[in-house]
Amino acid sequence: MTDAGFVIAAYAVIVGGLGLYTVTLWRRLRAVQRRDDEGR
Amino acid sequence: MSDLRGEARIALAIARTDALAELRGRHATVSTLFFSAVVLLLFGFALGPDSARLAAAAPGLLWLAVVFAGMLAVSRLHLMETDDGALEQLALYPITRRAIYAGKALAGLAVMVVLGLLVLAAVGILFAVDIGGAWLPLVATVLLGAIGIAAVGTFYAGVTVRLRAREVMLPLLMLPVLAPLLLGAVKATAAALAGDPFGELGAWLQLLAAFDVIMVVAGAATYGYLLED
Amino acid sequence: MKTRILGFVALGAVAVMLAVALFVVPADLNQGDAQRIMYPHVASAWLGYLSFGVTAVSGILWLWRRDLRFDAVAVAGAEIGVIFTAFAIWGGMMWGRPIWGVFWQWEDPRLTTTALLLALYVGYLLFRRLTDDPERRATRAAIVGIVAAVDIPIVHFSVEWWRGLHQTATIGSPDRVLNPAAPMVFVGTLLGMLGAFTLAWAYLMIRRYQLARAELAHEEAVRRQRIQAARAPQPGPTSTEVAR
Repeated sequence: MTDAGFVIAAYAVIVGGLGLYTVTLWRRLRAVQRRDDEGR
Repeated sequence: MSDLRGEARIALAIARTDALAELRGRHATVSTLFFSAVVLLLFGFALGPDSARLAAAAPGLLWLAVVFAGMLAVSRLHLMETDDGALEQLALYPITRRAIYAGKALAGLAVMVVLGLLVLAAVGILFAVDIGGAWLPLVATVLLGAIGIAAVGTFYAGVTVRLRAREVMLPLLMLPVLAPLLLGAVKATAAALAGDPFGELGAWLQLLAAFDVIMVVAGAATYGYLLED
Repeated sequence: MKTRILGFVALGAVAVMLAVALFVVPADLNQGDAQRIMYPHVASAWLGYLSFGVTAVSGILWLWRRDLRFDAVAVAGAEIGVIFTAFAIWGGMMWGRPIWGVFWQWEDPRLTTTALLLALYVGYLLFRRLTDDPERRATRAAIVGIVAAVDIPIVHFSVEWWRGLHQTATIGSPDRVLNPAAPMVFVGTLLGMLGAFTLAWAYLMIRRYQLARAELAHEEAVRRQRIQAARAPQPGPTSTEVAR
């Protein structure tokens, strides 16, 4: 891999990971809200 | 002031009870020692047969064996409590939690010192390193290392004793925290065995001592919160 | 609502800094393009440490005040801390391969210390899952978190000493970008990336905190329902069902 490859790998995982984590947080939040609504 | 002495007396009483129980259950102590011997043997097979390489690795192998066996030893000291609810009963007495922690840690320390010295001797034999020449700094290192392992181990054994999956949680929590101790003890041992060519032995022993003090204080300060569980 | 605005601002800031770090700022003379990895790597490491500091302090505050909101902050800090620390290690490895030729090096104190940090807080998170009662969990987690936090400076010291005895040529040192003599462009980009990431961190912390509180409230509601159900009187023989 050239240097550029490592740079891309680094940024892709970090930025992609941040995005992925953000989305899973949203999903988990929605899931708890849904459970609460159903519970009532 | 007399409070402190009362505490100390309680701590020693607990220590003696635990240590005696440990020694009377000699089977468990012997098993732990035998375990460390087997670990050393396996290291020999894994890294040998080149004796020069093993001699160079000896300090590391010594402390790995001590840490692994130490984990078994401290978890057992706490196990004895839950089996008959003695820990809960202890907490009912109007004694400070610090004293309980100190007592358990002292018992653990006694076990660790014995363990450490015996493993040291075994390493000398198995990996052909000359212990006799540097016995004083080596014993000092074993002592300081034992204090740290006992302090940290007692704390985490108390933390995990009532949890499911405790067999894996204890090592998982304890080992990262012990990394600086492992580092320092191995470096000190290596320096001692080599005759301290760079004059670094003192620095490593100081690191160990600092680790011990910090961990004993942290353990004593927080252990009490466990007992209110 | 305010959090959503924060989220958008953070997103914008990160996007801008990405462009700057990848295309605007020049490559390093010695390290080439690989040096660009330092920007998100250092930012992630910094946020990892910050998060765990938050967790440790929140634990102390819980033990002192017994307000479960502090425990919610603690778990948010630990989870997000693990994420950023993992990013830092990944960045370090991606930087290491072109510069050192290897993905990992034991002589680099920051890499090894950060790995230990990760181990400590993954252990913390796994440990939390073993207790169901919120108060007990908070107390146990707090003391484990405190001892872990106390260990970190010792790890730093010992690893620095450890490394110090094996001085290797520091051609490829990650310190360069932090060096005060470094060109302003580099320092500016690093600070910009740090700022953008911190905004993202703040947004994630708030959301994770909200999630923790929502889950706590839900657990509490479930528990109350169960207690009520257990206490409900059993229907007697005069009920309408028998009459049918």
